[in-house]
Amino acid sequence: MNFPAELKYTKDHEWLKMIDDTTGLVGITDFAQSELGDLVFINLPQEGDEVTAEESFCDVESVKAVSDVMSPVTGVVAEVNTELEDEPQKLNEEPYEAWIAKIENITAFGDLMDAADYEAFVQK
Amino acid sequence: MSELKRTQLYDIHVAAGATMVDFGGWEMPIEYPTKIVAEHLYTRHFCSLFDVSHMGRILVDGPQAVDFLQHVLSSNVNALDLNQAQYAIIPNEDGGAIDDAYLYRFEEERYLLVVNAANTDKDLAHLNEQIKAYDAKMTVITGDWAAIAVQGPKSKELLQILSGGEALTEPVKNALNTLKFEGRTVRVAKTGYTGEPIGYEVYIESAEAAWLWNRLIELGAKPAGLGARDTLRLEAGLPLYGHDMGPAPDGSEMPVFAVSLAKFAVSFAPQKGDYVGRKPLERQYAAFKRIMERDFSNLDVLPKRIQPIALLDRGVMRAGMPIYKGDEQVGWVTSGTMVPYYKHEGVGLQTVILDDVAKRSIGLAYMNSDLLEDDEVAIDVRGRKLKAVVVPYHMRVDAPPFARPIIYRPDEEEGPAASGDRKPKALELITKAIDNHQWRQERAINLIPSEMTPSRAVRLLCASDPSFRYAEHKKIKSFYDADVFYYQGTKFIDEVEQLAVEEMKAFLGCSEVETRAISGQMSNTAVFSALMDWKNRLDRKHDPKRLGYVLNNHIVKGGHLSAQPMGALHDYIAIDPVTERQAVVNFPVCKDNIYKIDVEETKKVIDQYRPEFIIFGKSMVLHKEPVAAIREFVDDLGLQTTIMYDMAHVLGLIGDYFQKPFQEGAEIVTGSTHKTFFGPQRGVVGMNWKKGELKYGLWETLESRVFPGSVSNHHLGTQLGLLMAAYEMNQFKDEYQKAVIANAKHFAKALKAQGLNVAGDPAIDYTETHQVIVSVGYGTGPEVAERLERNSIICNYQATPEEEGFTASGALRMGVNEMTRFGFGPKEFDRLAEIMADCILRGKEVKEDVAALRAGYTEMKYCFSDADVVSALDELAKKTGI
Repeated sequence: MNFPAELKYTKDHEWLKMIDDTTGLVGITDFAQSELGDLVFINLPQEGDEVTAEESFCDVESVKAVSDVMSPVTGVVAEVNTELEDEPQKLNEEPYEAWIAKIENITAFGDLMDAADYEAFVQK
Repeated sequence: MSELKRTQLYDIHVAAGATMVDFGGWEMPIEYPTKIVAEHLYTRHFCSLFDVSHMGRILVDGPQAVDFLQHVLSSNVNALDLNQAQYAIIPNEDGGAIDDAYLYRFEEERYLLVVNAANTDKDLAHLNEQIKAYDAKMTVITGDWAAIAVQGPKSKELLQILSGGEALTEPVKNALNTLKFEGRTVRVAKTGYTGEPIGYEVYIESAEAAWLWNRLIELGAKPAGLGARDTLRLEAGLPLYGHDMGPAPDGSEMPVFAVSLAKFAVSFAPQKGDYVGRKPLERQYAAFKRIMERDFSNLDVLPKRIQPIALLDRGVMRAGMPIYKGDEQVGWVTSGTMVPYYKHEGVGLQTVILDDVAKRSIGLAYMNSDLLEDDEVAIDVRGRKLKAVVVPYHMRVDAPPFARPIIYRPDEEEGPAASGDRKPKALELITKAIDNHQWRQERAINLIPSEMTPSRAVRLLCASDPSFRYAEHKKIKSFYDADVFYYQGTKFIDEVEQLAVEEMKAFLGCSEVETRAISGQMSNTAVFSALMDWKNRLDRKHDPKRLGYVLNNHIVKGGHLSAQPMGALHDYIAIDPVTERQAVVNFPVCKDNIYKIDVEETKKVIDQYRPEFIIFGKSMVLHKEPVAAIREFVDDLGLQTTIMYDMAHVLGLIGDYFQKPFQEGAEIVTGSTHKTFFGPQRGVVGMNWKKGELKYGLWETLESRVFPGSVSNHHLGTQLGLLMAAYEMNQFKDEYQKAVIANAKHFAKALKAQGLNVAGDPAIDYTETHQVIVSVGYGTGPEVAERLERNSIICNYQATPEEEGFTASGALRMGVNEMTRFGFGPKEFDRLAEIMADCILRGKEVKEDVAALRAGYTEMKYCFSDADVVSALDELAKKTGI
C-alpha cells in the first residue's frame, strides 16, 4: 500500500495535491481503490461545479457497488480528467496519477491528514 | 450472530489472498487479488476454478425417491437417465419458487439435489415436511464432498490431463460421469453457472478437495470468486434466487414462469401427479403461452417477467433501480452491473477474439410482461433517467468452445436492391464459373467424402433436353399397376426411368427401387413419411401416431443429419409421454472405439426400448454397420421392427468389399447417388418386400410419398445422368470399390506415418470405408480446413464424437472416393499425405505442390472411355449445343 508523502488525505480515502495556495488536484487513495475493487465507471463532476468540503462531488462504480467521492475542499471545479470516463481502471492501476478533478478558488479545507497519520488511520 | 461456515477449501482461499465475505452464512471468497474483471475474463478465455462447496447437497434415495422428487420438484424426474442432470424449481403451493436446484443422477438408485447455500435450511424444512408421506430418505452430504466448478474453454483439456485422457462426460450439457483423476474418484458434471459452453462441476471427497484445486492451479487454471461468478451468470442471463427469482423488489412473490427458463424446468407430465404448486403453475404456463403469442389482454397471472436489459447511456444499472416507460414505472432492475468482454472482429467462422477488453452495462429486469425485445425504457440511476433497451440475450454459446458476447445493435438498414445493367454481371458470372470449374477440376484435390465428380457422359446427359420437362406418373390399380403419365412427350423418360430402376435393383440387391427422390434427404423424408402413414393406415379418423421408438446413430457419434429428429425425422418422431422427449434412442458405441457400434450394448437397448424402427448409417463412417447381428437379434426377440440402412455416404461401396445390406437383413436402403456413387445429385430408395408380403404395402405407400408426396417434377435431366451412372457403377464397381477401400487404408497409414493423428483402429488400418478422420486439435478444425482450402485441398472440418459441435471441431473428415476416380493410387496418396503434413504440421504453403500432383490426374477412370463412346459423346455435345 502506497502513501505518497506530498499528499493530504481524508478519512473518506480521498487525496489532495495542492498545486498553489488555492488550487489542487483530487483523487482516491490506493487503499480506496483496493477496497472498492475493479472500478468500471465514474460519474465525473462538471467544470464550474461548486464543491463543498466533505460533501459528495462525484461517484465511482466498481463491479460490486457505487461509492460517493467526497471533496476534501470547498472550491470550484476547474477541470475534470475525462480520460477516466473511458478508462476508469486507471483509478485502480495508478490511483495517485489518476486525478479526478482540479479544484480552484479553494476557500476551505475539510479534515485532512498527512501521509503518516493516514497510513496509521487505514491500518487501524 | 452465529459463526460463519467454512468450506473444505477455506484455507486455500485465505492463503491466496482472497477477500472473504459472508455469503448465505458461509465465509466465501468474493474475489482474489486478481479481482473480478480479470477473473471474469480468464473464465471466458481460459479456465477458472470456483469453490461451490457451500451449495447445499442432498442425497435422496429409497423405494419412493422418484415419487418424492416428482412431488417436490417442477421437473420430470422420470425423464432423468443415469448420468444426466436436470434443472428444476422447488415450487411452493402458490406457484412461487422456494429455490431453484439441480438434480443429478450419478447412480441408478440415488439422486443428488443441489440447492442454493443461503436457502439450504429453508429448503430442508420444506422437504423434510414433504418427505414424510414417502418411503424415501434425504442425507445432507454438503460437508462430505467438496464441489469445484471448473469453467472455461480450456477446462476440458485441463481435466483430461487428470483423467489420463479419458473422456470426461458425453460432450453435451448436463451429462455426468464417475471416473478417476490420478487415482481419486470424482463425479463430473457438464454443468455450471457461468454460461460457459465448456464447463464442469467436479465433486470429490472432502479430503481430496485441496489436492484437486492445487493440481488444477498447477495446470494453469486460476481461482475466481463469487464476484466473477455473479458477473458471469448475469452475462449468461442465468437467474439468481433472491434477485431474479423468488421475492420481487416490491415484496410480492415472482411467479415461477416469470423466468423463461421455467419452460424447460417445469413439467406437467401425468406421472408427476398433483405435485406441489402444479395448479398455479399450469395457470402460469397458460398465461406464459398467451404472452408469447403477444396476447396481452389478461396479464393478471403473469404481470411481470424477467428479461435481459442493456444500458444505452453511460452508467451502471443496479438491482432495485426503477424502470420507466414514459412516466409509468414498469418494473425494476433485479441484477445489474458492468461486465467486461473481449472484443472481436471478422464475420462468422472467421471471427477472431481480440485481446482488447471493453465493458458493458447489462442487467436482468422484472418488467411488465407486455414489453418486447427492442423496446426502449428508462432506468432511474440515482435520479438520472438513463436509456436502456430490452434485449433477447447478452451472450450466446452455440459456437463453442467460446461463449460469445452479444452486444446490442439496432437492425442495420438493408443495402440497395439489385439494379443496373445486367450484361456485365452475366459476363462476370461466366468468367467466375470457368475459374471455379478449372480450379476444382484441374488444380484442387477434392477430399469431401460426400462429393463426386460425375463422368462427362453423366454431365452431358444431365444437361440434355429432358432436364426442362415434367414427367409425373403414378401406378393405377385399374390398369394392373401400369404407370400412367399425366403429360405427353414422356415416353423416352419413361423408358429411362424403368431402366434406371432395373439397374439400381441389380446394384442394391433388392426387389423394389424408387429413383424419383431428388436427394438422399428426400429419400429419408419419404421413407419416414411412408412408415408413419403405414402405421396409421387402419385408423384415419384420429391424428396419426408418430414413430417411436426409433434407434439411430447419434449425430455426435457420426450419425447422419438426415436421420435425426433435427433432420428428416423431425415431423415423424413421437414424443415419449414419460420422458417428454423425442422417442429416439441411440446406438451405444464401443468404449475403446467410439466410431464403432457396440453390438452387445445395442442388444440391451433394443430389449429395453423395443424400437419399431432401426436406422443404420452415418456420415462420419469408418466401419461396417452390424446389420446382420442386429437383424438376428430382432428376429430372435420376435419384434416387428423395420430395419433401414441409410447408405447416403456408402451407397457406391455396396458389394463384396464393404456390405450387402439386403443380404444382411436390411429391409430398406436409402442413399445419395453422388457421394461414393457415380451419379448426379439425387436420392434413391430400395426396399425388399415381395408382392403378397404384409410390408409390401409399405413399399406402395413409399411410392406415393415420393410422388406426389415429395416431388412433382423429379428433375428429369439427372434421371438420365443417373441411368448412365448406374451403368458405369455396375460395369466398374469391382475395380472401383476395391481401389477406394485400399486407397483409404493406405492414405490413413500414410498420414499416420507423416505424424498426423489418424482416428480409428490401427488393427484394421483405421478405416473400412472411403473415409479417413484426422484429429488436428480441439477447436482448430475450421482453421486448418480453411488453410488447406487456401492451398487447394478441399476437405471438411468435423466434430469428433467427443467434441461439442462444429465450431469446436478438432478433426478433418476426408474421403478418397473422388480422387480415386481421377486415378489416384497408393503412390499419389503417399505424396498427398506428405503435402498435407507440410501444410498442417509445418505451416508450409503447398498450393504449387497440390497443383503439380493434381495436374497428372484429370482424366476420369471407372467410366466408359472407349473411342466409340467418346465420339458418341462428342456428337451428343454437338447436337445438344453444349
